[in-house]
Amino acid sequence: MTAAAGWLADRVSRLLDPDERDAVRGDFAELGITSAQAVVEVLGLLMRRQAALWTEWGPWLALVGVVIPLGALLGQLSWSWADGSAIYTFLYVNNWTWAYVESPGARRDLLDVGTRVCLNDLALIGWSWTTGFALGSLSRRTLWVTATLFCLVVFVVFGFSSGTTARANPFNAAVFSLPFYRVRYPWLVLTGLVLLPAMWGMRRSRRSASLPLIPTLVGFAVIALLTVSAARTLELFAIGHWHLTRLDPSPDGFAEHGGWFRPLRLLPLLPLWPVAFIVASACWRRLRGQPASA
Amino acid sequence: MLGEFEYLLISASARLGDRAYGAAIRHEIERACNERCSVGALYTTLDRLEKKGLIETWMGEATTQRGGRSKRMVRVTAKGTREAAAFYRAVVRSSQGVSWQTNPREDRS
Repeated sequence: MTAAAGWLADRVSRLLDPDERDAVRGDFAELGITSAQAVVEVLGLLMRRQAALWTEWGPWLALVGVVIPLGALLGQLSWSWADGSAIYTFLYVNNWTWAYVESPGARRDLLDVGTRVCLNDLALIGWSWTTGFALGSLSRRTLWVTATLFCLVVFVVFGFSSGTTARANPFNAAVFSLPFYRVRYPWLVLTGLVLLPAMWGMRRSRRSASLPLIPTLVGFAVIALLTVSAARTLELFAIGHWHLTRLDPSPDGFAEHGGWFRPLRLLPLLPLWPVAFIVASACWRRLRGQPASA
Repeated sequence: MLGEFEYLLISASARLGDRAYGAAIRHEIERACNERCSVGALYTTLDRLEKKGLIETWMGEATTQRGGRSKRMVRVTAKGTREAAAFYRAVVRSSQGVSWQTNPREDRS
Protein backbone atom coordinates (compact mmCIF):
# COMPACT_ATOMS: atom_id res chain seq x y z
CA MET A 1 0.00 0.00 0.00
CA THR A 2 2.80 2.42 1.01
CA ALA A 3 4.87 1.43 -2.01
CA ALA A 4 1.87 1.95 -4.30
CA ALA A 5 1.15 5.35 -2.72
CA GLY A 6 4.82 6.30 -3.11
CA TRP A 7 4.75 5.33 -6.78
CA LEU A 8 1.50 7.28 -7.28
CA ALA A 9 2.91 10.34 -5.47
CA ASP A 10 5.95 10.19 -7.76
CA ARG A 11 3.80 9.92 -10.93
CA VAL A 12 1.43 12.69 -9.88
CA SER A 13 4.22 15.09 -8.89
CA ARG A 14 5.72 14.70 -12.38
CA LEU A 15 2.84 16.84 -13.61
CA LEU A 16 4.41 19.81 -11.76
CA ASP A 17 7.16 22.00 -13.24
CA PRO A 18 10.65 20.57 -12.41
CA ASP A 19 11.58 23.36 -9.94
CA GLU A 20 8.24 23.25 -8.20
CA ARG A 21 8.35 19.45 -8.04
CA ASP A 22 11.76 19.64 -6.35
CA ALA A 23 10.59 22.23 -3.81
CA VAL A 24 7.31 20.46 -3.02
CA ARG A 25 8.81 16.98 -2.64
CA GLY A 26 11.61 18.42 -0.53
CA ASP A 27 9.00 20.07 1.73
CA PHE A 28 7.19 16.73 2.06
CA ALA A 29 10.43 14.97 3.04
CA GLU A 30 11.27 17.66 5.59
CA LEU A 31 7.78 17.74 7.14
CA GLY A 32 7.51 13.92 7.20
CA ILE A 33 4.36 13.84 5.07
CA THR A 34 3.21 10.33 4.10
CA SER A 35 2.95 9.26 0.45
CA ALA A 36 -0.84 9.05 0.62
CA GLN A 37 -1.03 12.61 2.01
CA ALA A 38 1.47 13.73 -0.63
CA VAL A 39 -0.82 12.43 -3.42
CA VAL A 40 -3.77 14.39 -2.03
CA GLU A 41 -1.68 17.55 -1.55
CA VAL A 42 -0.14 17.45 -5.03
CA LEU A 43 -3.55 16.82 -6.60
CA GLY A 44 -4.88 19.82 -4.68
CA LEU A 45 -2.01 21.96 -5.97
CA LEU A 46 -2.60 20.80 -9.56
CA MET A 47 -6.31 21.55 -9.31
CA ARG A 48 -5.64 25.04 -7.96
CA ARG A 49 -3.14 25.64 -10.76
CA GLN A 50 -5.65 24.48 -13.39
CA ALA A 51 -8.43 26.60 -11.86
CA ALA A 52 -6.16 29.67 -12.04
CA LEU A 53 -5.36 28.99 -15.71
CA TRP A 54 -9.06 28.76 -16.59
CA THR A 55 -9.56 32.40 -15.55
CA GLU A 56 -7.93 33.35 -18.89
CA TRP A 57 -9.73 33.33 -22.26
CA GLY A 58 -7.44 30.91 -24.14
CA PRO A 59 -8.63 27.60 -22.64
CA TRP A 60 -12.30 28.66 -23.00
CA LEU A 61 -11.82 29.58 -26.66
CA ALA A 62 -10.08 26.22 -27.16
CA LEU A 63 -13.03 24.45 -25.52
CA VAL A 64 -15.84 26.28 -27.33
CA GLY A 65 -14.08 26.85 -30.66
CA VAL A 66 -12.07 23.65 -31.08
CA VAL A 67 -12.89 20.85 -28.64
CA ILE A 68 -16.68 20.77 -29.03
CA PRO A 69 -17.30 21.60 -32.72
CA LEU A 70 -14.21 19.98 -34.25
CA GLY A 71 -14.15 17.04 -31.85
CA ALA A 72 -17.76 16.29 -32.84
CA LEU A 73 -17.11 16.78 -36.57
CA LEU A 74 -13.96 14.65 -36.63
CA GLY A 75 -15.60 11.91 -34.53
CA GLN A 76 -18.57 11.75 -36.92
CA LEU A 77 -16.42 12.05 -40.03
CA SER A 78 -13.98 9.30 -39.07
CA TRP A 79 -16.83 6.80 -38.69
CA SER A 80 -18.63 7.83 -41.89
CA TRP A 81 -15.35 8.13 -43.81
CA ALA A 82 -14.37 4.62 -42.69
CA ASP A 83 -17.69 3.16 -43.86
CA GLY A 84 -17.42 4.96 -47.20
CA SER A 85 -13.90 3.78 -47.92
CA ALA A 86 -14.56 0.28 -46.51
CA ILE A 87 -16.72 -0.48 -49.55
CA TYR A 88 -13.89 0.36 -51.97
CA THR A 89 -11.27 -1.39 -49.82
CA PHE A 90 -13.49 -4.48 -49.79
CA LEU A 91 -13.99 -4.20 -53.54
CA TYR A 92 -10.36 -3.73 -54.48
CA VAL A 93 -8.53 -5.66 -51.72
CA ASN A 94 -10.83 -8.56 -50.77
CA ASN A 95 -12.05 -9.06 -54.32
CA TRP A 96 -8.94 -8.16 -56.27
CA THR A 97 -8.78 -9.27 -59.89
CA TRP A 98 -6.36 -8.15 -62.62
CA ALA A 99 -9.40 -7.20 -64.66
CA TYR A 100 -9.43 -3.95 -62.62
CA VAL A 101 -6.20 -3.00 -64.35
CA GLU A 102 -6.63 -4.66 -67.71
CA SER A 103 -10.02 -3.15 -68.59
CA PRO A 104 -9.67 0.57 -69.50
CA GLY A 105 -13.01 1.48 -67.89
CA ALA A 106 -12.28 -0.40 -64.65
CA ARG A 107 -8.76 1.07 -64.56
CA ARG A 108 -10.18 4.58 -64.78
CA ASP A 109 -12.61 3.78 -61.96
CA LEU A 110 -9.77 2.37 -59.84
CA LEU A 111 -7.66 5.50 -60.37
CA ASP A 112 -10.63 7.76 -59.70
CA VAL A 113 -11.60 5.96 -56.48
CA GLY A 114 -7.97 5.66 -55.31
CA THR A 115 -7.36 9.38 -55.84
CA ARG A 116 -10.58 10.37 -54.11
CA VAL A 117 -9.95 8.14 -51.07
CA CYS A 118 -6.34 9.37 -50.79
CA LEU A 119 -7.37 13.04 -51.04
CA ASN A 120 -10.13 12.56 -48.46
CA ASP A 121 -7.71 10.76 -46.12
CA LEU A 122 -5.13 13.53 -46.54
CA ALA A 123 -7.81 16.15 -45.83
CA LEU A 124 -8.83 14.31 -42.64
CA ILE A 125 -5.19 14.09 -41.53
CA GLY A 126 -4.68 17.80 -42.31
CA TRP A 127 -7.79 18.89 -40.39
CA SER A 128 -6.83 16.72 -37.41
CA TRP A 129 -3.25 18.01 -37.31
CA THR A 130 -4.30 21.66 -37.53
CA THR A 131 -7.02 21.05 -34.91
CA GLY A 132 -4.40 19.56 -32.57
CA PHE A 133 -2.00 22.43 -33.23
CA ALA A 134 -4.66 25.12 -32.67
CA LEU A 135 -5.76 23.37 -29.47
CA GLY A 136 -2.19 23.29 -28.20
CA SER A 137 -1.56 26.95 -29.11
CA LEU A 138 -4.74 28.20 -27.46
CA SER A 139 -4.40 26.18 -24.28
CA ARG A 140 -0.71 25.48 -23.78
CA ARG A 141 -0.76 25.00 -20.00
CA THR A 142 -4.22 23.44 -19.88
CA LEU A 143 -3.51 21.12 -22.80
CA TRP A 144 -3.76 17.89 -20.84
CA VAL A 145 -7.32 18.88 -19.82
CA THR A 146 -8.45 20.21 -23.23
CA ALA A 147 -6.80 17.27 -25.05
CA THR A 148 -8.61 14.79 -22.78
CA LEU A 149 -11.92 16.59 -23.40
CA PHE A 150 -11.21 16.61 -27.16
CA CYS A 151 -10.62 12.82 -27.16
CA LEU A 152 -13.76 12.36 -25.04
CA VAL A 153 -15.92 14.34 -27.51
CA VAL A 154 -14.41 12.43 -30.46
CA PHE A 155 -15.05 9.06 -28.76
CA VAL A 156 -18.61 9.95 -27.70
CA VAL A 157 -19.63 11.14 -31.18
CA PHE A 158 -17.76 8.23 -32.78
CA GLY A 159 -19.60 5.83 -30.44
CA PHE A 160 -23.00 7.25 -31.39
CA SER A 161 -22.28 7.23 -35.14
CA SER A 162 -23.42 3.66 -35.61
CA GLY A 163 -25.75 4.24 -38.57
CA THR A 164 -24.44 5.51 -41.90
CA THR A 165 -25.78 5.54 -45.44
CA ALA A 166 -23.22 2.92 -46.41
CA ARG A 167 -24.36 0.53 -43.66
CA ALA A 168 -28.04 1.18 -44.29
CA ASN A 169 -27.66 0.22 -47.96
CA PRO A 170 -28.52 -3.49 -48.33
CA PHE A 171 -26.16 -3.76 -51.33
CA ASN A 172 -23.24 -3.26 -48.94
CA ALA A 173 -24.33 -6.05 -46.59
CA ALA A 174 -21.43 -8.30 -47.70
CA VAL A 175 -18.88 -5.66 -46.66
CA PHE A 176 -20.31 -4.99 -43.22
CA SER A 177 -20.97 -8.66 -42.47
CA LEU A 178 -17.19 -8.93 -42.01
CA PRO A 179 -16.11 -8.00 -38.45
CA PHE A 180 -13.03 -6.22 -39.79
CA TYR A 181 -15.03 -3.63 -41.76
CA ARG A 182 -17.86 -3.46 -39.24
CA VAL A 183 -15.74 -2.92 -36.10
CA ARG A 184 -11.96 -2.72 -36.56
CA TYR A 185 -11.72 -0.61 -39.71
CA PRO A 186 -13.51 2.47 -38.21
CA TRP A 187 -11.16 2.29 -35.19
CA LEU A 188 -8.13 2.12 -37.49
CA VAL A 189 -9.38 5.20 -39.37
CA LEU A 190 -10.11 7.04 -36.12
CA THR A 191 -6.66 6.27 -34.72
CA GLY A 192 -4.60 6.70 -37.87
CA LEU A 193 -6.35 9.66 -39.51
CA VAL A 194 -7.68 11.61 -36.52
CA LEU A 195 -6.16 10.83 -33.11
CA LEU A 196 -2.51 10.35 -34.06
CA PRO A 197 -2.34 13.42 -36.36
CA ALA A 198 -4.15 15.52 -33.72
CA MET A 199 -1.64 14.42 -31.05
CA TRP A 200 1.20 15.12 -33.44
CA GLY A 201 -0.18 18.65 -33.93
CA MET A 202 -0.50 19.15 -30.16
CA ARG A 203 3.06 17.91 -29.65
CA ARG A 204 4.31 20.29 -32.33
CA SER A 205 2.56 23.22 -30.67
CA ARG A 206 4.48 22.52 -27.43
CA ARG A 207 7.70 23.51 -29.22
CA SER A 208 6.30 26.78 -30.55
CA ALA A 209 2.80 28.28 -30.46
CA SER A 210 3.34 29.70 -33.96
CA LEU A 211 4.83 28.39 -37.21
CA PRO A 212 7.03 30.16 -39.79
CA LEU A 213 4.89 32.25 -42.17
CA ILE A 214 5.82 30.85 -45.61
CA PRO A 215 5.41 27.11 -44.79
CA THR A 216 2.18 28.01 -42.96
CA LEU A 217 0.78 29.79 -46.04
CA VAL A 218 1.73 26.83 -48.25
CA GLY A 219 0.11 24.45 -45.75
CA PHE A 220 -3.02 26.63 -45.68
CA ALA A 221 -3.26 26.55 -49.49
CA VAL A 222 -2.85 22.75 -49.57
CA ILE A 223 -5.46 22.14 -46.86
CA ALA A 224 -7.88 24.63 -48.47
CA LEU A 225 -7.55 22.74 -51.80
CA LEU A 226 -8.04 19.39 -50.05
CA THR A 227 -11.11 20.84 -48.28
CA VAL A 228 -12.58 22.05 -51.58
CA SER A 229 -12.01 18.63 -53.13
CA ALA A 230 -13.59 16.90 -50.11
CA ALA A 231 -16.37 19.47 -49.57
CA ARG A 232 -19.18 17.44 -51.10
CA THR A 233 -18.12 14.23 -49.38
CA LEU A 234 -17.78 16.16 -46.13
CA GLU A 235 -21.39 17.37 -46.34
CA LEU A 236 -22.73 13.90 -47.02
CA PHE A 237 -20.59 12.05 -44.51
CA ALA A 238 -21.10 14.55 -41.72
CA ILE A 239 -24.85 14.03 -41.76
CA GLY A 240 -24.40 10.25 -41.68
CA HIS A 241 -27.54 8.23 -42.12
CA TRP A 242 -29.88 11.22 -41.85
CA HIS A 243 -29.52 12.13 -45.49
CA LEU A 244 -31.17 8.84 -46.46
CA THR A 245 -33.93 8.92 -43.89
CA ARG A 246 -34.92 12.56 -44.35
CA LEU A 247 -35.09 12.83 -48.12
CA ASP A 248 -38.18 14.69 -49.30
CA PRO A 249 -39.64 13.29 -52.55
CA SER A 250 -40.31 16.00 -55.13
CA PRO A 251 -43.40 16.03 -57.39
CA ASP A 252 -41.49 14.38 -60.24
CA GLY A 253 -40.76 11.40 -57.99
CA PHE A 254 -37.06 12.11 -57.50
CA ALA A 255 -35.90 12.39 -53.93
CA GLU A 256 -34.33 15.67 -52.92
CA HIS A 257 -33.05 17.21 -49.72
CA GLY A 258 -35.23 19.64 -47.85
CA GLY A 259 -34.19 23.16 -46.83
CA TRP A 260 -32.64 21.80 -43.61
CA PHE A 261 -29.78 20.44 -45.71
CA ARG A 262 -28.60 23.80 -47.11
CA PRO A 263 -26.70 25.15 -44.05
CA LEU A 264 -24.44 22.11 -44.35
CA ARG A 265 -22.90 23.77 -47.41
CA LEU A 266 -21.02 25.94 -44.89
CA LEU A 267 -19.62 22.87 -43.11
CA PRO A 268 -16.24 22.89 -44.94
CA LEU A 269 -15.54 26.25 -43.29
CA LEU A 270 -15.48 24.58 -39.86
CA PRO A 271 -12.32 22.45 -40.25
CA LEU A 272 -10.67 25.41 -41.99
CA TRP A 273 -10.89 27.72 -38.99
CA PRO A 274 -7.91 26.18 -37.09
CA VAL A 275 -5.86 26.66 -40.29
CA ALA A 276 -6.99 30.30 -40.46
CA PHE A 277 -6.04 30.70 -36.79
CA ILE A 278 -2.55 29.24 -37.40
CA VAL A 279 -2.02 31.59 -40.39
CA ALA A 280 -3.27 34.59 -38.40
CA SER A 281 -0.89 33.86 -35.50
CA ALA A 282 2.04 33.36 -37.91
CA CYS A 283 1.22 36.74 -39.57
CA TRP A 284 0.87 38.39 -36.17
CA ARG A 285 4.28 37.10 -35.06
CA ARG A 286 5.86 38.26 -38.31
CA LEU A 287 4.32 41.75 -37.89
CA ARG A 288 5.61 41.99 -34.32
CA GLY A 289 9.03 40.75 -35.44
CA GLN A 290 8.95 37.69 -33.18
CA PRO A 291 10.77 34.59 -34.45
CA ALA A 292 8.89 31.30 -34.89
CA SER A 293 10.72 28.03 -34.62
CA ALA A 294 10.86 25.90 -37.79
CA MET B 1 -5.55 45.24 0.06
CA LEU B 2 -4.08 41.85 1.03
CA GLY B 3 -6.18 38.80 1.78
CA GLU B 4 -5.79 37.26 5.24
CA PHE B 5 -3.86 34.23 4.01
CA GLU B 6 -1.58 36.51 1.98
CA TYR B 7 -0.94 38.50 5.14
CA LEU B 8 -0.19 35.34 7.15
CA LEU B 9 2.28 34.23 4.48
CA ILE B 10 4.05 37.59 4.29
CA SER B 11 4.30 37.92 8.05
CA ALA B 12 5.64 34.34 8.39
CA SER B 13 8.24 35.08 5.68
CA ALA B 14 9.22 38.36 7.35
CA ARG B 15 9.61 36.63 10.72
CA LEU B 16 11.77 33.84 9.23
CA GLY B 17 13.97 36.30 7.32
CA ASP B 18 16.79 34.49 5.48
CA ARG B 19 15.35 31.11 6.53
CA ALA B 20 12.01 31.69 4.75
CA TYR B 21 11.15 28.85 2.36
CA GLY B 22 8.12 26.61 1.62
CA ALA B 23 8.23 24.10 4.49
CA ALA B 24 9.35 26.65 7.11
CA ILE B 25 6.59 29.12 6.13
CA ARG B 26 4.02 26.35 6.19
CA HIS B 27 5.18 25.32 9.68
CA GLU B 28 4.95 28.96 10.90
CA ILE B 29 1.44 29.42 9.51
CA GLU B 30 0.22 26.13 11.04
CA ARG B 31 1.76 27.10 14.40
CA ALA B 32 0.15 30.56 14.31
CA CYS B 33 -3.32 29.44 13.21
CA ASN B 34 -3.53 25.93 14.69
CA GLU B 35 -4.84 24.82 11.32
CA ARG B 36 -3.46 22.72 8.47
CA CYS B 37 -2.00 24.64 5.57
CA SER B 38 -2.05 22.78 2.25
CA VAL B 39 0.80 22.86 -0.24
CA GLY B 40 -1.71 23.98 -2.89
CA ALA B 41 -2.75 27.06 -0.90
CA LEU B 42 0.87 27.86 -0.03
CA TYR B 43 2.42 27.62 -3.49
CA THR B 44 -0.43 29.26 -5.43
CA THR B 45 -0.41 32.16 -2.95
CA LEU B 46 3.38 32.47 -3.28
CA ASP B 47 2.92 32.75 -7.07
CA ARG B 48 0.19 35.36 -6.70
CA LEU B 49 2.23 37.46 -4.27
CA GLU B 50 5.29 37.24 -6.52
CA LYS B 51 3.19 38.37 -9.50
CA LYS B 52 2.01 41.36 -7.47
CA GLY B 53 5.64 42.18 -6.60
CA LEU B 54 5.10 41.68 -2.85
CA ILE B 55 7.67 38.89 -2.50
CA GLU B 56 10.63 37.49 -4.45
CA THR B 57 11.34 33.77 -4.73
CA TRP B 58 14.27 31.73 -6.04
CA MET B 59 15.51 28.17 -5.83
CA GLY B 60 17.88 27.68 -2.90
CA GLU B 61 20.31 24.96 -1.91
CA ALA B 62 19.46 21.27 -1.51
CA THR B 63 19.89 19.55 1.86
CA THR B 64 20.11 15.89 2.87
CA GLN B 65 17.18 16.46 5.27
CA ARG B 66 15.09 17.17 2.15
CA GLY B 67 16.33 14.13 0.23
CA GLY B 68 18.74 16.27 -1.80
CA ARG B 69 15.97 18.54 -3.08
CA SER B 70 16.10 22.33 -3.42
CA LYS B 71 14.09 24.86 -1.39
CA ARG B 72 11.95 27.64 -2.80
CA MET B 73 13.35 30.60 -0.88
CA VAL B 74 11.18 33.66 -0.18
CA ARG B 75 12.02 37.30 0.54
CA VAL B 76 9.48 40.05 1.26
CA THR B 77 9.95 43.12 -0.94
CA ALA B 78 9.62 46.74 0.23
CA LYS B 79 6.21 46.90 -1.44
CA GLY B 80 5.20 43.69 0.39
CA THR B 81 6.28 45.18 3.71
CA ARG B 82 4.19 48.34 3.05
CA GLU B 83 1.11 46.30 2.07
CA ALA B 84 1.42 44.02 5.12
CA ALA B 85 1.85 47.05 7.42
CA ALA B 86 -1.26 48.66 5.88
CA PHE B 87 -3.24 45.45 6.38
CA TYR B 88 -2.07 45.19 10.01
CA ARG B 89 -3.05 48.82 10.71
CA ALA B 90 -6.46 48.24 9.15
CA VAL B 91 -7.04 45.15 11.34
CA VAL B 92 -5.93 47.04 14.47
CA ARG B 93 -8.16 50.05 13.61
CA SER B 94 -11.17 47.91 12.82
CA SER B 95 -10.67 45.92 16.04
CA GLN B 96 -10.62 48.96 18.31
CA GLY B 97 -13.49 48.98 20.78
CA VAL B 98 -14.48 45.44 19.92
CA SER B 99 -14.56 42.88 22.68
CA TRP B 100 -14.21 39.32 21.40
CA GLN B 101 -15.52 37.76 24.56
CA THR B 102 -18.39 35.48 23.65
CA ASN B 103 -21.71 35.46 25.44
CA PRO B 104 -21.95 32.15 27.42
CA ARG B 105 -25.67 31.91 26.48
CA GLU B 106 -24.88 32.12 22.74
CA ASP B 107 -22.19 29.49 23.22
CA ARG B 108 -24.72 27.09 24.74
CA SER B 109 -27.19 27.60 21.88
